[in-house]
Amino acid sequence: MELDGVLTNMPIPGEILAKAGDLSDGGELSGGNRPLFALVGDLTLKGRYGVSALFVFKDRLTAFDEKHSGGQATVMFCDIAQAKVKRMYGNAVLRIEGKDGKTLDLLRFTYSVADIGDAAALFVNKINEGEPVDQSLEIVKAAYRNMRSFCPKCGRKLKTPDSECLNCEGKSKVIQKFAKYIKPYVKRLILCLLLSVFTTALALVPPYITKVMVDSVIPGADRSMLLTIILLLLSVYVAQFSVSGIRAYLLRVTGDRIVIELKKDVYAKAQFLPMSFYDKTSTGSVINRINGDTANIQSFMLRITQEAVVQAFTLVGVIIIMLAMDWRLTLLSLIPVPLVVICGRYFGKRVAPMYRRLWRRGTSLYSILSDTIPGVRVIKAFTNEKNTINKYERYANDWLEEDKKASVTVSAFPTVITFLITCGSLIIWLVGGGQVIGDLVSGAQSGITTGVLVSFIAYAGMFYAPVNFFANLNDTYQHTLASAEKILDILNAEPEHDFGKGNKPERIKGKIEFKNVSFSFDRSKKVLDDVSFVIEPGDVVGIVGTTGAGKSTVINLIMRYYDDYEGQILVDGADVKDIDMDHFRGHIGYVQQEPMMFRDTIFNNISYGNPDAHVEQILHAADIANAHGFISRLPDAYDTLLGERGVGLSGGEKQRISIARAVLENPAILIFDEATAAVDSETEHLIQEAIERLIRGRTTLMIAHRLSTLRKANKIMVVDKGQIIEFGPPEELIAMQGKYYKLIQIQSMSEKAREMKEEENLEISIT
Amino acid sequence: MSRMYIDGPEVKITVNDGIFVDLDFYDGRKITMLEPKRLFPISGLTKYITLLDEEGNEAAIIRNVDALLPESRQVILNCLEEYYMIPKIKRLIKRSEKFRIWLWTVETDRGVHTFEIINHIVSIKNLYDGRILIKDANDNRYEIPDFNALDRRSRTLIMPDL
Repeated sequence: MELDGVLTNMPIPGEILAKAGDLSDGGELSGGNRPLFALVGDLTLKGRYGVSALFVFKDRLTAFDEKHSGGQATVMFCDIAQAKVKRMYGNAVLRIEGKDGKTLDLLRFTYSVADIGDAAALFVNKINEGEPVDQSLEIVKAAYRNMRSFCPKCGRKLKTPDSECLNCEGKSKVIQKFAKYIKPYVKRLILCLLLSVFTTALALVPPYITKVMVDSVIPGADRSMLLTIILLLLSVYVAQFSVSGIRAYLLRVTGDRIVIELKKDVYAKAQFLPMSFYDKTSTGSVINRINGDTANIQSFMLRITQEAVVQAFTLVGVIIIMLAMDWRLTLLSLIPVPLVVICGRYFGKRVAPMYRRLWRRGTSLYSILSDTIPGVRVIKAFTNEKNTINKYERYANDWLEEDKKASVTVSAFPTVITFLITCGSLIIWLVGGGQVIGDLVSGAQSGITTGVLVSFIAYAGMFYAPVNFFANLNDTYQHTLASAEKILDILNAEPEHDFGKGNKPERIKGKIEFKNVSFSFDRSKKVLDDVSFVIEPGDVVGIVGTTGAGKSTVINLIMRYYDDYEGQILVDGADVKDIDMDHFRGHIGYVQQEPMMFRDTIFNNISYGNPDAHVEQILHAADIANAHGFISRLPDAYDTLLGERGVGLSGGEKQRISIARAVLENPAILIFDEATAAVDSETEHLIQEAIERLIRGRTTLMIAHRLSTLRKANKIMVVDKGQIIEFGPPEELIAMQGKYYKLIQIQSMSEKAREMKEEENLEISIT
Repeated sequence: MSRMYIDGPEVKITVNDGIFVDLDFYDGRKITMLEPKRLFPISGLTKYITLLDEEGNEAAIIRNVDALLPESRQVILNCLEEYYMIPKIKRLIKRSEKFRIWLWTVETDRGVHTFEIINHIVSIKNLYDGRILIKDANDNRYEIPDFNALDRRSRTLIMPDL
């Protein structure tokens, strides 16, 4: 039984239709009483998977669920004050608030159909507001269109409405998508193929010549013939290996071109993918795809276009020759074939999931690299090197365990296949050898000579290779080899020097002194030139200056990211190089312009520098950073995985998490590097509020372009062209009417201009 | 920055409406219509339950549900059970894969269900405590509480995706 012409998210179950009334009998759903649309639920109101449905008519809703009295509930629109969908965790409820103040849960469903539930609720409310039915129905129709529709053939969901079903789309179409990369090189590939056929044909000659040698030339002691045959064989080998070399070169160049084209396209596509894609996919995985998977496709394409043809040619050629030589031995040599095929298929099924798991572990390992290597400053700032190493080791060990498991099967398979092939040659030796001996003893002529036997064994070996190949054609995986050169680059690099290891002052008060510090990255230009200043404990110092003036370098040197500077940096009177690096960095809270979030939960991101922190310390830190509010509103709250599918945080939210991270460190020195540069005014206010709570009683350095964010600073440092040109209380600098004064003037002018512009826009929008 | 923590006996919790609760403190204070939500829905099912008012503002946090009075505990657990739909997979009935779309038919504590997984790399999380968390193509969530407790066939079917 069907309900033709009624919008529905999936076919209405027969039992619901039966309850609703048979169409042909003029029941509930017939004639002019037909519903406008239907929503088939996948949960019962009790929260179990089951059958439920909602029919929406012009004037009422009828829901079918076992929890309703008689399995059915009808509510007239005129009795409804509001319809809404209450979204919970993994499920939602369509709830009706009656004009009598009572609420009724009509239908429960998973997220799979929640969008249609929203549309249904909206429809009801619109109708009650007096909107025409047709107009309101358009909203519902749009929701159905936007919903991921189902493939009419196989019932699977489609990625986008009206898109082709990947399940039903022929494999040929998928191959076609990659075939375009082969197309420009078709002529060259055909040439390679012809060369392959030629070399394969030549490879079939030597075993036959062996037969002639063994049966005629050697027994006949024909030296001139021997020389002729050797020369012939030499020519065959020269031709075979020369052509093979040319073919290998052509194939390699062609393969490289194909893979580069593919990589370029994948990379270009990756640039245009939405950020939501990157929220869901780790960069490590993307890089792995660009580097690894494209090579796999190239390998597969070459296997199909070259090897498959060559192996098929070899197989046919060898069988013809073998049959021509002796059909009985040919049949005997076929005995292991089924076993080789069965083994190949068995192996393929077993090893494919192993490689998939291995790939997964490999990607996880790669993701750690792509997370931590770009975030190495944060790791150092929070002295988290050991934890990072431990995490990497844990994942590396996981990979190793998986690899060990796979190795058993991978190693066993070729051994078994070789054993079977060897057994095949044993059968030929047994039967063929028996025949040859019998002929020698009896003087009879069975047709199997010693030469035939020897060359047959050689052909049998050639015969099993393509059998093995075709048995494993589905096996398209390949290992990705790490670049030894790059690894050595890392291993041979000089480590960070920790001259003061073990020197851990009990308390760091936060006095920072630069004494004639000069620094350059590449010695071509001094980024800092003879810089001297003193920051007292508890000072809040705003560092201002134009881009490239050297503000961040001051911070980088305080953080000890670079040690090869001239002059001296003192902390509490001691040379910073003489203090234990981990200990020192552990006393610095560092908040960057673009905070680095690791692919982990929010909880672990906050506790990054202090993994043993008590949960309530984390909550407290989040509170101070104005982060607890938005975190607790997320579905997974503190368990929310960042950088994973489902959740992406705004810049301001990430910033607040990074502030919470710094709070947890309870640092003596705080550094904010453009912490509010990339956020809107409202978020800036929230972050500013958090910063002001955090900086109380701590030495604080704040780099800021917006001078308004430095209102709490008791000292301002103006950096220009690698030098400190002004340093002191803001009032004094303003009175001096120097660079800081000018910066304020410029900013206030641009602020005014911006405000005027905003006002104009506001007026326009009002009119 | 003061936060109200509830440790247990100081409050009686009763159901208000469905997933909303009322708090009756023994000092006479009363807060109504609060929605319990887990702050750690994956790692701490009964710890740190935040109670939000209708505006989404936090009124209090229950440190540990197990420390509440038995009736109050049950009320909170019922509300959480109602709110959080994370079916526990007991058995994998069928698994198929085509063009990197996985189709699982499973038996859960809420009945038999079929769902799709679009990207098994990010949708299946293998936790170190033996749990496996799964997100389907529509962001519905499922949990295998203990992979090793599954029957052999289910384990064999799932293994390739882990």
